[in-house]
This record gives sequence, C-alpha cells and structure tokens, in this order.
Amino acid sequence: MAAAGVYLLGLFGLLLRVGLNFTHLPSWLQTQNEVVTPLTSWKRVEEGFALQKQLISPYSGDIFHETPLALQALKIAYYFPWKVTGFFLFLDLLTMMFLYKTSVAFVRHLIQVQNEEKKKYSTKAESIILTTDSLAWIPTIVLACYSLNPMSIMTTLAMSTGAISNLTIILTFYYLLQGNRLLCTFFLSVSAYQSLYPLIFIVPVALYFLKLSRPSMPSLVSVQAVSSYVQTCALFFLFSALLIGLSFVSEGSWEFLYSTYGFILTVPDLTPNCGVFWYFFTEMFDHFRTFFVCVFQLNAVVYAVPLAVKFSEKPFFLMFLLIFVTSIFKSYPSYADASLYFSLLPLWKHTFSYMRNTLVVGGMYVCCGVLAPILYHLWIFAGSANANFYFAITLTYSAAQIFLVTDLLFAYLRREYDLYNGTEHQNKDGSKAQIILE
Amino acid sequence: MATTSGWSRCRAVSVYFKVFLCFLVSTSVSSKQKDSFTEELLIKPLSRGYIYSHFQFTTKWNASLHDPTTFHHFHLFPKALGEVLSRYNVQELHLSQTQGLWRHKQWGYPVHDAPPGAELWVWFRPSVKDVDKAWTELVNAVSGLFCSSLNFLDSRSTIAPRWSFRPAGLAPQGYSVSSHFVRYGTLPREIVCTENLTPWKKLLPCDSKAGLSTLFNAFHFHDANYHSLGLHVRPISPSNVPPYGLFLTTTFFFHHCLQMFCFSCCSDWSLRSLFGNHLASACPIASKTSIMVETTDNEASPAYRLTPTPTWTHTVTRGTGQHTYSVYNVRSFTEVGRGLNIAGTYNDPSKVKELDPPPIHAHRYITGYGLEDGGVSCLITNTLDRNQTVIYMDVLPWFTRVFFNSLTVQNNGLDVPFKVHFTPAKDRVRPYHLELSFNLWPHSVTRVSFSFTRAFLKWTEYPPDANHGFYIGSAVISSMLPTSRQYSAPPLYFSKLDTILNDNSSSYLVRVHSESLVVSLPTPDFSMPYNVICLACTVVAIAFGSIHNLTTRRFVKLDPSQRKGLLSKVKGFFKRSKKEDEVADDSNKTAAAEDAACQEKEEDIADPTEETS
Repeated sequence: MAAAGVYLLGLFGLLLRVGLNFTHLPSWLQTQNEVVTPLTSWKRVEEGFALQKQLISPYSGDIFHETPLALQALKIAYYFPWKVTGFFLFLDLLTMMFLYKTSVAFVRHLIQVQNEEKKKYSTKAESIILTTDSLAWIPTIVLACYSLNPMSIMTTLAMSTGAISNLTIILTFYYLLQGNRLLCTFFLSVSAYQSLYPLIFIVPVALYFLKLSRPSMPSLVSVQAVSSYVQTCALFFLFSALLIGLSFVSEGSWEFLYSTYGFILTVPDLTPNCGVFWYFFTEMFDHFRTFFVCVFQLNAVVYAVPLAVKFSEKPFFLMFLLIFVTSIFKSYPSYADASLYFSLLPLWKHTFSYMRNTLVVGGMYVCCGVLAPILYHLWIFAGSANANFYFAITLTYSAAQIFLVTDLLFAYLRREYDLYNGTEHQNKDGSKAQIILE
Repeated sequence: MATTSGWSRCRAVSVYFKVFLCFLVSTSVSSKQKDSFTEELLIKPLSRGYIYSHFQFTTKWNASLHDPTTFHHFHLFPKALGEVLSRYNVQELHLSQTQGLWRHKQWGYPVHDAPPGAELWVWFRPSVKDVDKAWTELVNAVSGLFCSSLNFLDSRSTIAPRWSFRPAGLAPQGYSVSSHFVRYGTLPREIVCTENLTPWKKLLPCDSKAGLSTLFNAFHFHDANYHSLGLHVRPISPSNVPPYGLFLTTTFFFHHCLQMFCFSCCSDWSLRSLFGNHLASACPIASKTSIMVETTDNEASPAYRLTPTPTWTHTVTRGTGQHTYSVYNVRSFTEVGRGLNIAGTYNDPSKVKELDPPPIHAHRYITGYGLEDGGVSCLITNTLDRNQTVIYMDVLPWFTRVFFNSLTVQNNGLDVPFKVHFTPAKDRVRPYHLELSFNLWPHSVTRVSFSFTRAFLKWTEYPPDANHGFYIGSAVISSMLPTSRQYSAPPLYFSKLDTILNDNSSSYLVRVHSESLVVSLPTPDFSMPYNVICLACTVVAIAFGSIHNLTTRRFVKLDPSQRKGLLSKVKGFFKRSKKEDEVADDSNKTAAAEDAACQEKEEDIADPTEETS
C-alpha cells in the first residue's frame, strides 16, 4: 500500500512538473534571481555551447561558469525526449528515487543507532524513543517534500543546473549510508568539483567511515582514526584530481579554474540572489572588499569545525547541518539549495516537537517567497522601489533559514538531553524544572 | 575580407607611383622644404537648408618615420604632435572628436565619418614590444595634447579590430595581417567644446591668423547641428621605400541648418552667414588655398546661383556617378585685395531636391524594457541593386553581458550567413568585441541583433549621475562601395580634396558610424553603505552567535526559584552592601524589610517560566 502511494506521489510530482511546463512559468522562472544564479542558469550553459561551437573558449568570457566536464556532459540533454526539459525531468526522477532510497536507509540507520545506545538512555524517555511505526512515514514525507515542494518544482522548471549538484549530494548521502567508501567519496568529489562548497562534507564522511571501521569507537585522534581519515581524504582528493585533470585535458588550459572556482570565491558577479553576498559587496568599500570576501567565505565553511566537534558521533546530522549552512552562506545561493535541505529536513522529524519558532520561520519563508519577485519587479521594471526593498527580503530569507537551522540544532540537542535525562524534569521539591544552556 | 586586404596590397603599388609623381611636382616648387601645406574647404549645400562645410588642412612631410633624426627638426609639421608620434612609435593615428550625430540617410556621407564623442584608432610600428603599454601611454599624451578625456580609454573600452580598421596609409608587407598592432577605442560620452578647438587650431602652421582658419568662429561652430574635429596621420609610403612621408590631415566639418522650421524652402547662404565673416586672406605658408563647392545637384536644374563666379568648374566621373565641383582659388581673389564671400542665392527653391539616400545607411537602437535584459538591433539598408559585402563592428562594455547565441543576422525574416569574430568580455577588464562580415542583399534591410543582460555594478563604479545611463559607442559598418553616390571623400590612399577632381578609382571605402546608445543600469541605493554592511553582518552574526551558543554550551536543569534575573542580581548587590551598613546602623531595619519584600516581588516577575537558551 505504502509502495503504491510512493509511486503515485512521485508520479504526481513529475506530472505536475510536466503540466506546468506547458505554461508560461518556465520562461518566467528562468529570469528569477532566487531560482537561477549566474552559476546555475541554463541560458548561460547554452551560451557556453554556442561559444564552444564557434571555437571560442567559454572561459575566455564571464558568462559561462560551469565546469569543463559539465560542459561536455550536459550536451546529452539534447538527446532526451523533450530535449532539455526531458533531461531535467529525468534528473528529478533520479533525485526522487535516491531520496527515497536514502530515507529508507536512514530510517533503518536511526533504529540501529538507537538500539545500540538504548541502554544508556533514561528510563523516563520512553515517550520519545523511536519505533519502526513512528518512522514508517518518513520516506514518504521526504519524497513529498521534494516532489511537491514549490522550490524544487521551480528549480526543475527553470532548468537550473543546481539540480545536478543536488543529485550528486544526495548520492553522496546515499552511499555514505550504504557505507560504500569508494562511491561516496566519488560522488562527494563530483559535487565538490561542480560547486566547490560540498568540499567540507568530507568531514562527516571521514567521521562516519571511521565509525564504520571501528564500531567500538576509539578516540577520534588515535593513529587508527587518523589513518582512516587519511584514507577517505586520499580517495576524495584522488577523484578530485582526476576530475580536474580530465577538465584540463578537455579544455587545454587552466583558464577554467578562475571562471568556475575563482568566480565562486571572489564573487565578481553582483546579480541579486537570495543570499547575503550580493548587496553587501555592491555597497562595500573597495579597500575592505578582499577582507570581507575572505570573512564571508570563511563564514560559510567555518561551522564545520564546532559542529564536527559537537556531532562527531552523529555524522549524518552533521552532514545535514553543513548542507544547510552552506546553502545559506554560499556566494550564489538559490532555491535549488533550499529544495535540497527541505527535502532532507523530514529525516529529523522526531526532533520537530522540540522546535520553538516554526510558525515564525514558516511565515518568514512564505512572505519572502511571495514578496521577493514582487519587490524585484518594483525595483527593476516598475522603477517604483529601490534595491533596499529586495535586499530587505533577501535578508529576511537568510534570517529565516538561520532561525530554522539553529532551531533544528536546538531541537536535536534538546531531544538528546531528554533521551539521557528523561522527559520529565523535576526539581527536588517536585516542581517543574527549567532546562537552560549553561 | 582576405580578398580586400589582398586587393589593398596590389592597390598600394599603383598608389605609390601616384604619390611619387605628386611629390616630385611639389618639390620642384619648393625644393628646399621637406614639407608642404595645403588648406582646403569643401562646401556642400544639402536639402532643407543644411550646409555641409569641410575644412581640411594637409601637411605632407617628406621624411622617414624610422629615421631617428626626423623628429629633431620641425618646419610645418606640429612639433607637439611629432614628438608624441615618435615617442610612442606610432605608424598611424586617427582621432575624431564630434558633437552631434551625422544622419547619413539625409545628408549622404561626410569626408571623414565620425561617431558622436571621441574616437581614436592607432597603428603602432612593428618595433613596439608591448602594444598595450604603448597605447596606455599614448592616450594619456594625446589626451593632454587635445584637452580631452582620452585617458579614460583603458582596457575596458579598447579593442584590436580584426577586420574593420585597416591601415589607411601604406604599410610594410604582412604588417596588417594580424591586428596585433592596432588599437581602437571610443568615448561616446565625450563632449567637444572650445577647449578642444583651441589646441587643435594650434597644430595649424598659420594658427587662426590667416587663411581658411580665420573663419573659425567658436560661436558659429557650436551653433551648428553637428561638428567634428579630426586628426589623421598616416605614412604615404612603406617605411623602407622612398619617398618617405607623412600626411597630417586636420579636418573640421560642420553642419548648419539655416532654417530650422522650414522643410521645403532653402535660404541663401554665404561664407559670412555661415562663419560670421568673409575670407580676407590665404595662409602665406600654404602651397595652395582653395574652396570647392559641390554643385552636383544644381547642375540639371539650377536652384541657386553661386557668386562670385568660380575660378573653374569641373565635372568628374567617379565610378558610376558624376560630380560637379566649382573651385575657387582663394589666392587669386585675396591677392587683389578683395575679400572672398562665396554665396549661394536661391532663385527657385522648389527645384531643390531631396538627396537620394546613400547606398548604405544604418539605424541602431536598444530593445527590451526594464533594467534586466535588453538587446541591440541594427538595421542596415542597402539601396543598391546588387549584393554588397559589409563588415559590421560593435563594441559593448563588459556590463552589458552579450549572449553570443542570441546573435542573428536576418534579412526579411531569412537568416543571412555571416562570418564572425567575437571576443567575449571579462568583467572589469575588457569589452565585448563583435565583428561580422556578411552580404547585404539588393534593395533590402538587414537586421543585426543580439541580446544582453545588464550586470550589477559596485556602487563605486557608477558615475555621479548614475541614473543618466551608460553610453555604448557606435557600431561601425565598413564597405567598399561600387558607386560614389553621395560620396565625398578623396580616393583611397589620397588625402587632399583636390585629388577628387582627377579620381579614376572604381571602388570607394565607406565607414558608417551608427547612433551611440544609452543603457540604464539598475542602481543600488548610494546613501546607505554603512546600513547595508551593518545589516548583512548582523544576519551573519545571528547565525554565528546561535551556533556558537548551541555548540559550546550544555543543557542543565535549573530550579526556576533559584534563578535570578538581572534586576534581582543588581538589587542583591545593593542589598549586600546595605546589610553591611545595617550592622553599623540598626535603625534602618524597617526599610531593609521593605526592600526584601519588594525584591521577592521583582523576582516573581522577572523569572520566566519557559525554557530559554
């Protein structure tokens, strides 16, 4: 029964996308800065093809920013039924498939971890202990969160190449759950090759493979641990070097490095998007620009350190947090990134009851989604608003994402506390105790 | 275009002999002088009361560019310019500064076509190692020489034209095969004013003391619909073959509309009405001072009468078209003490014909709405009854991101095959450079169009009047015309206007500059950089603070009754100090009790019952 429901859900999601493709929506979405960025716009990919056909290196200009292998590989899009649209629908189908498989495996993993740790739990935590029944719907919800999420629908319709990065990250996640070090590091290096920021996902990946190889959990800094890290990293860098080397062979010069990674790191394109970079660096004083570029880029990845320390035993949650944080603070974020973390969010449904400001965050998301295109239109086309209006909305959107991720973090930690200390917190005199951060 | 360059090379040989002969004649007159100077004025009455006047001052210097001693002694050639040319190893230099837009469809072709604003293109000598460096230094020097903003021609607005701007003078074999030594840049926003006219006049041997340059009256010039200052330096022989030589052509042309609101009638004109004065003298240094009036349209059905009678009238057949010129030898008038005031008196204005449209003319405009995407379209009209090959060149700034795949060349809805050279821009480094070669079909309009996306600039990159928009220079359409209809320039490789009179060439190089464009870019709010920096940093700080909090602290159980708010802590501090006082003074007991009661109350209020982080 559930299986049929899942198929129906996936099919409905696909049909929805196919149906919307016949409207004016795709052409409109392709111009929306929240949906496509200079990095992910299909229009720019086509420009890359056109330049290459004319024997001009696509990297000699500043329009095309895909990687050289993507430039070669994306040509297959024209061999699909319905050409590029068909290609992106196919990508969506793959994403849905692996999302579902990932969530099924993840539910199994959750139960397994819980069984291992159960004896350490408080006896008073029965009410929040996970059961197979309570998790049965998770894969379906995950799938629904992808197939029916307006953000992922928009990503598909706008033919954003962010869908490719999303797929590779989900594949990384899937093979991480499978414990397949080779494929996991391969897809990790593909996604890092494609959009650079997934580079830091090497931290949870390395931690998890250490855990797998030594279930008894030795010290995280022992010789064995370090050798396990080195193995994972070596595989990752081997694949990355292979990809970069292949790119060099196909392109014949290193020019692409600046056009792809340099473009991501130095943020030369100040086209508005839903992140914090664009207006900040539009209004930045020139002599501070380099400093703040470094600070902001560091900000996107630095959370890997405290989170890795805190969640060294929970690599999947760590990975999810890193996916979330980088999609907020990357230099060219879009709804494609948001659709990824939204579809993985239900994996932590068991912590939702501990979240404190879902209503506020939900309201912020809805407001931003509605107001962003309106205020952009008022600024660019109607001329009756200025850049500050749109900036305010992008700030609110970033703030909403930050509230959501910190709320989730709080909820997760709070639930952990309850697991070990019971759900009832009483003082010695029997009154209700308060739990605070010390 | 390869055929054209090949053609120009064999053409160069025949030209070389002609220049040689011309040179021998001139040296026999003034054998001691290595340079000669001529001043010429071409007047062309057009329909609707427009008069086109083209002043041309030509200095021919019989000297080698490569001889280091050449630039030690100057005679008629301006020293200031000569030093710049030798310092930066310039082979050829073409500068124009223009105010207004030349309307080819109504006015035909001028002698030297120029875009609105300033245009500079330079060929450097092969000895130059670093062409970009030489260009940067040269534009600064030229900018100082002509009081213009040419120093803004940095790499962001400079290109090396592939096909369009071939050397106008003779050049060594193989020199112009690649475009390594040529640089081209325009400043469409540059305004031409009296401050540009003054340094330009100083290049003339007679300044404005005698000769045709006495007609320069800044008031009348700036009153004209269109005026353009030009400077063209080109070698008249390859560097290693005699005769050596340089042509310096300084041109000034402008356009007067005598009757602004009357389209059918034409009014009488004279040198006095055009320039505010008659011509009293010829430049004594000049080997020749002449005024030519093109009276081609007046031949069949005379609409106006020229006074005084010209020295001679000459009809020349250039290609398929016949041109009639009335030539005045100024000296023969001024030497007898009479001033020369050439006048055209209309006796039958109804006979004034509209000009036939020239063979090729263009119209270019911006398409699209809003401040996001846009496009450029250029309509090129061919009025000839044969295919005409043209080269279209367009330079767009980096902030209009041109999509190459949107480029189309269409004629009547059909795609026209074209050959293309495209250099994509690099942000803040170089512009988009597009050159196309294609055929214009007979009696048709060909549309070149492409789309672009506007980039968002940093707030410091906008000019002070950011909402005025950004200028895009003219497109340049070059072609070799088979007919001289509406054509007024001297034949290729010649400079002096009187060479028109014995021209027997069969094709005519024409360069049409289209309209320059203005694009508005989206602007940020310039007034609030600090606010933006603060707000964005705040959002980042929220994330950093929250995550820092949650990862570095632990949950603990707390009895709400044990917990103290900030207020109670402060009170507690004071209470402690008061208690110490109490020991000393027992009389305040009641007050302390009241205080304690009050504090308890405060605690109840201050203690939140919910869990907080």
